[in-house]
Amino acid sequence: MSKGDGARLPATDSPTSAAADPEFVQLLTPTGERVKHPEYDVDFTDEEFRGLYRDLVIVRKLDAEATALQRQGELGIWASLLGQEAAQVGSGRALRPQDMAFPTYREHGVLFCRGIDPIMPLGLFRGVDQGGWDPNQYKFNMYTIVIGAQTLHATGYAMGITMDGKVGGDDGEAVIAYFGDGATSQGDVNEAFVWASVFHAPLVFFCQNNQYAISEPLERQTRVPLYKRADGFGFHGIRVDGNDVLACYAVTRKALDDARHGQGPTLIEAYTYRMGAHTTSDDPTRYRIAAEVEEWKGKDPIKRLRAYLEREEIADDAFFGSVEDEAAREAVSLRERVLAMPDPQPLDMFDHVYPGGSPEVDQQRAEFGRYLESFAGAEGHR
Amino acid sequence: MSTLTIGKALNEGLRKALENDPKVLIMGEDVGKLGGVFRITDGLQKDFGEQRIIDTPLAESGIVGTAVGLAIRGYRPVCEIQFDGFVYPAYDQIVSQVAKMHYRSRGKLRLPIVIRIPFGGGIGAVEHHSESPEAYFAHTAGLKVVACANPADAFWMMQQAIASDDPVIFFEPKRRYWEKGEVDTSTSLSDAYPLFASKVVRQGTDATVVAYGPMVRTALDAATAAAEEGRELEVIDLRSLSPLDLDPVYASVRRTGRLVVVHEAARSGGLGGEVAARVTEACFYSLEAPVLRVTGFDIPYPAARVEEEFLPDLDRVLDAVDRSFGW
Amino acid sequence: MSRVKEFPLPDLGEGLTEGEILKWLVAEGDMITLNQPIVEVETAKAAVEIPAKWAGKVARIFHGEGETIEVGTPIIAIDTDPTAGDLPEPSAESLAAVEVAPAEGMVEPGLIGGPAPGGRTAVLVGYGPKAGAATRRPRIQTPAVVAVPAATSTPAPVRPAPAPAPSPVPAEPVRGGGETLAKPPVRKLARDLGVDLTALVGSGPSGSITRDDVMAAQNGTVSAPTAPSFGPDREQRVPVKGVRKLTAENMVASAFTAPHVTEFLTVDMTRSVRLLERLRELPDWRGVRVTPLLLVVRAVLLAVKRHPMINSSWADDSIVIKEYVNLGVAAATPRGLVVPNIKDAGRLSLRELADALTALVATAKDGRTSPADMTGGTFTITNVGVFGVDTGTPILPPGETAILAFGAVREMPWVNKGRVRVRQVTTLGLSFDHRVVDGELGSLFLRDVGAFLSDPGAALLGWT
Repeated sequence: MSKGDGARLPATDSPTSAAADPEFVQLLTPTGERVKHPEYDVDFTDEEFRGLYRDLVIVRKLDAEATALQRQGELGIWASLLGQEAAQVGSGRALRPQDMAFPTYREHGVLFCRGIDPIMPLGLFRGVDQGGWDPNQYKFNMYTIVIGAQTLHATGYAMGITMDGKVGGDDGEAVIAYFGDGATSQGDVNEAFVWASVFHAPLVFFCQNNQYAISEPLERQTRVPLYKRADGFGFHGIRVDGNDVLACYAVTRKALDDARHGQGPTLIEAYTYRMGAHTTSDDPTRYRIAAEVEEWKGKDPIKRLRAYLEREEIADDAFFGSVEDEAAREAVSLRERVLAMPDPQPLDMFDHVYPGGSPEVDQQRAEFGRYLESFAGAEGHR
Repeated sequence: MSTLTIGKALNEGLRKALENDPKVLIMGEDVGKLGGVFRITDGLQKDFGEQRIIDTPLAESGIVGTAVGLAIRGYRPVCEIQFDGFVYPAYDQIVSQVAKMHYRSRGKLRLPIVIRIPFGGGIGAVEHHSESPEAYFAHTAGLKVVACANPADAFWMMQQAIASDDPVIFFEPKRRYWEKGEVDTSTSLSDAYPLFASKVVRQGTDATVVAYGPMVRTALDAATAAAEEGRELEVIDLRSLSPLDLDPVYASVRRTGRLVVVHEAARSGGLGGEVAARVTEACFYSLEAPVLRVTGFDIPYPAARVEEEFLPDLDRVLDAVDRSFGW
Repeated sequence: MSRVKEFPLPDLGEGLTEGEILKWLVAEGDMITLNQPIVEVETAKAAVEIPAKWAGKVARIFHGEGETIEVGTPIIAIDTDPTAGDLPEPSAESLAAVEVAPAEGMVEPGLIGGPAPGGRTAVLVGYGPKAGAATRRPRIQTPAVVAVPAATSTPAPVRPAPAPAPSPVPAEPVRGGGETLAKPPVRKLARDLGVDLTALVGSGPSGSITRDDVMAAQNGTVSAPTAPSFGPDREQRVPVKGVRKLTAENMVASAFTAPHVTEFLTVDMTRSVRLLERLRELPDWRGVRVTPLLLVVRAVLLAVKRHPMINSSWADDSIVIKEYVNLGVAAATPRGLVVPNIKDAGRLSLRELADALTALVATAKDGRTSPADMTGGTFTITNVGVFGVDTGTPILPPGETAILAFGAVREMPWVNKGRVRVRQVTTLGLSFDHRVVDGELGSLFLRDVGAFLSDPGAALLGWT
């Protein structure tokens, strides 16, 4: 690519060149073989390995069900995490109960790992609400659609942890902030890096680099591998194989523990791929080539873990079958509950604008209520 | 009873709030060691420490964004935006997040954030230091917007805003920071005049003048001059720009039949239009003349040496009153 | 949602309007699962498999292989709850066919710009826009003229004195005492014509002064007279139809059926006039239209209570005496004479009567009196006084037994406390149906009405 020589902007090519063989932490190869790493390792029981596999399968299945629901007009939109299951399950499982997570709008896998009911964000995508839950109740912030905004919220929250004196021991609290490769260009994310480093915040920045921000490839967001950006801000950055659930777990676990022990922030770049579209109406065939997608299929996160479990005889066909069944049941349950979601009533939209209320809003609600009643057959509902 | 400037009254009000609630924080550029470029936070870091009075990196979006995170954590952050013209980098965090998260969470999450902004012109400054951006925020559902105009209101409204669970944009009339007034600091917060209420600050019978922030003093001066000519103006300080408390204005217009609204902000899309529309609907049969507005012009705030021509002053207010009587 | 769901042929892209069914992959009676391929359809590009949108049992297949059908036509019906017993008759109206957004060229369903479920067009971030119809939803009530104060759950800020107490959101315009309610164009007209608004009584909503009121005041007449236009034979034919025709018919029926007797009573109603002035001063009565007619109405209602037989109708073999008084007030309108009545007026308070009278007059002047308002009257008052006339011999509205003519209230010399003084004097004319009402009843009734008007206080104390 040209380096600013002359009057032309650099072209955006697909990132196949960069993707060839990046340096990153890996503990499980695409074919399911364990590799050693000098600094990172996992020490799981067989039960725990099987549990990880189950999580990955269910997360993918629920995601597929939601995609189908969107095609059928039951959801207005869905942001699929296909291909990113390992990054989300690995990092999600690394969180301790007292830790707080700040997602974007694609972290359904992390939500699942927090033990949160997967129906929770579906209200947002169906359009019955704006995704409303209490972040403190679930230790999981609401989905944030503005790109990168949540990284500042995460940083402020982490500063609050420090102020509360909850940093230092094993029981210290840590924060994880999720965002994508595109978000790293946003001012807010860079400001969050500044604040987190200056205030030594107990915070893990977890960037799922899935190679694309809608149609724009990584090269449009950065000239340098993303994990190296941390150096410029004065804290540690590391890249991990985002399709390797073991490595994602190990690296995130370490970073969170560093944070809770007062070592400050870490930037983790999980190198992965967005196998699906940005959201359901996006058409990736317009901007990327089939060969690239095929290549990443060979790095599938679930296949490699299955291969490992089979080879090590940690799991048998009965287990795999039972996981499929469980996943299918979860999917049906999700579908049914989505279809049963009640639509908001017209006057509901006036609720919860202010904790202290507003006479102006009340007046408008009352006027609109009278207006609706003036129609024949008035439930007022179109 | 104390005689305080608006700046000192704000300082005292902040101090009270910090004393009353350990969760209150102040954060902004130069608010700590320096005490703020207008000295509004003078002496506070010395008494309350660096944990609570925080000098932030130079990033307005960061100031407000991290305040959101701190509020989720249970703190009550008071952000300072150093000058009105620098709020715009934070505008996204304010309107997309601060304004909406209570609604987004269906009432489960509260963000009791106060964002203090010195606003308005008349200080002979260079570009970006004399803006009146209040309409951008008053137009955003989920935010409450207030503007103090005198030391007593500065002292009490600041404490009320911090105590409120609503997100409040708190505009301070920077050209009036050094003007003095009486403040009774001994009464209790619960007895203070309500935060989101307007107030008749001068009674009169011939015409009603509505203003807020730095223009309240201008309106009062105009009323003093008008009295010399035998015209008694009733002056109302809006105090709360969102929600607007217009019942006292309606009552006044029903008596006087004439209304002039004054603000520094540009005319088009300014809050004067909102007030005019509501008063016209509520007081249609009482109006002897249309509602008139005295405002800044639809131009970027001009250079210091000509700003006095831009700013509404006593003469322009009285000119509007005269025109109102011409109907 | 119905148990049996009909699945239409979707738009498969490229501006397709129809498709040919190549091959059915399922048959009626088959149990199918969600997303199972059910049919192969040919498009311009290739054969496309369509997956089932629901699981269940195939209830009907509507079109066979080789048939070409339009996009949106149901092709298969699936019983989504086959265990629930026999199927009802299949619905004639199926699920609304996906109204296809005109796919310009090659956008597949579900991709940006392509068709989306529910007749929408797919966008990146949600359901997408849908086309709307240009039809209006039917309303059952028209908007109120005056806004009703809103009940707020957030209390208005409580301001300490001396600021005025918060008043409700736009309600009655009140300004000082003796305000004139007139819209700006009317004010300008009055100013241009030199008409004093404060001297007028308005006939518009809320008692506001209208253009017509100003014009009438300027002309010195109650309503502008229309000059006839004579033809070459110096005659003009005005067709009789509508209200005028009906009124004429009623008058004939009444006049030549019921034997009419009219009695007169001249009354000094100065005390009533003074009572009205005091009424206008009361804070609750600010802005309410208060006229002598109001007290006449009240007097009549009270007198009816003392002489119920007067509020009745002749039914050949019986007289129907009514406990309810539907009080008719004759009103002159541009369309002719109408007599709307206030239903059950005897139950209304004085204030309610005042409001009802105001509304009645305004509605009549606007020509909006409804048929329901004009039927069922039991007693009528005709206010000939507004024309400046002393009294008359009114004709009974059909079905009523008595009608009272209320004349102009004039300053006249009158003997009061032994001296001749200037008093407010009016004449009442009561016509009644002599089959029902004899001279004694008629006289007593008229006397009572007059007594009330001449001394309302005594009537209040003396009458039970």
